[in-house]
Amino acid sequence: MTRRRPLLSVVVIGLACLVGMPLYYILVNTFKTQEEMVSSPLAPPTSFYLDNYLEVFDRIPLAQSFGNTLYVTVGAVVVQLLVGATAAYGMILRATLFNRIFGALLLLAFVVPGQATLIPLYRTLVDAELVDTLNGLIFMYAGGSIFCFFLIQGYIRTLPFEIIEAARIDGAGVFQIFWRIVLPLIRPILITVGIFQTMWVWNDFILPNVFISSPEKRTIVLEVYSAVGQFTTDWPAFMTLSVIVLVPMVVFFVLTQRHIISGLLAGGVKG
Amino acid sequence: MTVATEAPPPSGSGTATRPRAAGRRTGPSGGWREAAAHQLFLVPVAAVFIVLFVIPLGQTFYWSLTDFTGYSDDFAFVGLENYRTILSDPSMTAGLTFTLLFAVGTTVLTTVIAIPLAVALNQRLYGRNLARSLFFFPAIPSMAVLGLVWGYILSPLGSGVLNSVLDSTLGLGPVPWLSDSTLAKFSVIMVGVWGGAGWHAVLYLAYLQSIPHEYYEVATIDGASGRQRFFHITLPLLMPAMVISQFLLMTNGLKVFDLPYTLTNGGPGFATQTITQSIIVSGVGQGQYGIASALAVLFTIAVAALAFSQLLISRRIERRVL
Repeated sequence: MTRRRPLLSVVVIGLACLVGMPLYYILVNTFKTQEEMVSSPLAPPTSFYLDNYLEVFDRIPLAQSFGNTLYVTVGAVVVQLLVGATAAYGMILRATLFNRIFGALLLLAFVVPGQATLIPLYRTLVDAELVDTLNGLIFMYAGGSIFCFFLIQGYIRTLPFEIIEAARIDGAGVFQIFWRIVLPLIRPILITVGIFQTMWVWNDFILPNVFISSPEKRTIVLEVYSAVGQFTTDWPAFMTLSVIVLVPMVVFFVLTQRHIISGLLAGGVKG
Repeated sequence: MTVATEAPPPSGSGTATRPRAAGRRTGPSGGWREAAAHQLFLVPVAAVFIVLFVIPLGQTFYWSLTDFTGYSDDFAFVGLENYRTILSDPSMTAGLTFTLLFAVGTTVLTTVIAIPLAVALNQRLYGRNLARSLFFFPAIPSMAVLGLVWGYILSPLGSGVLNSVLDSTLGLGPVPWLSDSTLAKFSVIMVGVWGGAGWHAVLYLAYLQSIPHEYYEVATIDGASGRQRFFHITLPLLMPAMVISQFLLMTNGLKVFDLPYTLTNGGPGFATQTITQSIIVSGVGQGQYGIASALAVLFTIAVAALAFSQLLISRRIERRVL
């Protein structure tokens, strides 16, 4: 169609490099000694120096906090998707007046910020002895189910209902239909919603910061935050920790990029 | 199978795919047993809604009118005393103003940057995919970790990266990026914009790509300039994207906590303290449940009012433009 525009390309790439600068900065400094970092913070590393990585792996229980984060993320996202999917399906099976009013009430959960319910829920978790536990975090993240419900409901409405009707006539039970037919049919939206919820739970800082106090139960973001004090004088080590923590999210992003873009586009079609 | 194909007409609706029609049908044919089983599907979400939203929200509202400290069940009803305390406490009002400033600042700046960026990224460029990835990147990792990294970059000492670069290239003395209260506010907002602009540009890009190319061709034939095409085709057709993008920016801006907390920890003084931080510090930290709850109630009202008025305004603009 049109020609490529060299001048605009230079400007855009220049700006992109400026935006990517912090990433470059933390990455190159993980291969430097402290003296080298202070004297030339932005220069490429002069040697393949790996001591920072060894030191961080030695001092920070990364495997443990990684495992904690994985447990909480998988648990929370599975709960959110299951509750959201059952609700969306139930709402379509029984669209009674009562249920429709209830569905509208659920919109309130969007307006209410998490901060407004934090203090009472903290008390509840203390009473239930769930404070400072990973399951307590999953309990808190279950609130995200309502967001999942709305997105899944939008998708489930477009499904051909004859399939479900046919299964019913063939004698399949209500829950069997849900497991064997509905869930596989709504897989695309489950993947999209699951990706966005995974990024939220994995990256979340506020809930672990408020609810977790034992060092061995820290999630990975909380581990980085706690390590700042330890590394105030050792910047390259801190940069190294940041890079190690970024890796899983970047890999996740590369693997799911297609779905993220299509998720944004899906919003575009709806708007 | 014959029953299945005959089933749709009695439902009264033309298409069998209409969920509402299907819902009505299960009643008479399935009996109450199946209806009860279907209703069971709504139990988990109802439980989540009641346990995680309705009950705590009620407690927050109730506690906001008491002097509850969390330690003893012996507390008194104090009316609006807590609200009065908040509005006369400088640390609380500082949190209120900075949160508003952050929300409005990031919403305006991100929009002003993201739309031209999306238009540029929609052109045929060299290295376009690389540029898109770089701009989108800050949205991937945790904002808390990025806040810590930026803390090193903007460190007010001469050893801070930005300061040492400024010193070696321009010979400027150390700039107190995070230790001067005005500059600290500015820095937090700039990092917030850095973190969100690329994400929102990709959102706009998705909408831009759905604008039919013929519109531009016809406008060009009719002699419209590049500026005219932008203001009369692109911008009006981006209206739905702007509604979504600004709604997200505004609500997320009001709820912000991670970034100021990790970048400046609310400082210097209370300059970059957010409402969320005040709620957590006074509620969980100091056990002032009454005060924290009153703050949470005020905050909820503010978020709801802003979200509602923003939707109303954007509806009105949308109707006028399209």
